[in-house]
Amino acid sequence: MSDTNQYLRLEVAGHSYLLPSVQRYTIEQRDNLTENLDHASGVAAWRVVRNDRWPAYALDGALRLTRAPAQWQRAVFLEGSPHMVGLIVDDVQLLPRGAVTVTPFTPLGPSPTGEGHLFVNAWVNAGRVTLVFSPPALLGYLRSLGG
Amino acid sequence: MRKLATDQIHGLEIPISGLSLFLPSATIAEIVNVGTLTPVPFAPPWLIGAIGWRTVAVPIVSFEALLGGAVTAPRPQSKLVVLYPLRGRADWEFVGLLTASEPRPYMVQAATTVTPSTDDLPITPYLATGIKFGDRLFGIPDLDRLRQAFYP
Repeated sequence: MSDTNQYLRLEVAGHSYLLPSVQRYTIEQRDNLTENLDHASGVAAWRVVRNDRWPAYALDGALRLTRAPAQWQRAVFLEGSPHMVGLIVDDVQLLPRGAVTVTPFTPLGPSPTGEGHLFVNAWVNAGRVTLVFSPPALLGYLRSLGG
Repeated sequence: MRKLATDQIHGLEIPISGLSLFLPSATIAEIVNVGTLTPVPFAPPWLIGAIGWRTVAVPIVSFEALLGGAVTAPRPQSKLVVLYPLRGRADWEFVGLLTASEPRPYMVQAATTVTPSTDDLPITPYLATGIKFGDRLFGIPDLDRLRQAFYP
């Protein structure tokens, strides 16, 4: 059950997750983004390109919407239709091709998004589990946060 | 020719808080130490995490929480009972149950068991029935109902 794709390791609120490289993304530093001072909207920052702007959100350890930590430095923007959407991350690392072998994983219970479960695979390494995002589900979830 | 003991079931007593479950040995893949539980965001309260077991990630269930009780944290004497995939599920879809203490093997003889009254067991769809063996009460999980809860 090996997968030869590469994976992006995302650290969000102290927890590591993997994002398959089939999902196109852009990493933006905080300096290149416009911080949103209206905290009520839930948007931490905007990526502004010409006449468009795309939101970036901060999530807590349970992947619930939260205020961005004061010292945040970067966001990963996921590309997709109709627009891209960003996720504030503590750290991001592109893992070498072949470094990760994922296996299928089914979170029990009802799926939390309209696009299914947030996780559909897992990486088991030395007995530890790192969950692998389903790109459509993650995109759908981030877009559902509004902004 | 030796007569087969068809009225005997080899199984495992799975202690949980307030009750013991009984499952046939054929449903159990392995008993392991708890290790590191990885949280699964957006999971129902009874899904307390996932462990790495062999090459797969196995979701771990608190049966107490499934019965409507409090989510139990692992104790020093807790174990994880890894169950084979439920009927109709993929061959990698193992599921684990957190125990309150060390599970024990049991051989139950049908002739010496008694179906308890409904007052003895929690009212829940996740227990098919119970058995009394001597002065011990065991709940028998309803695997089909569990399958429906796990994979709606």
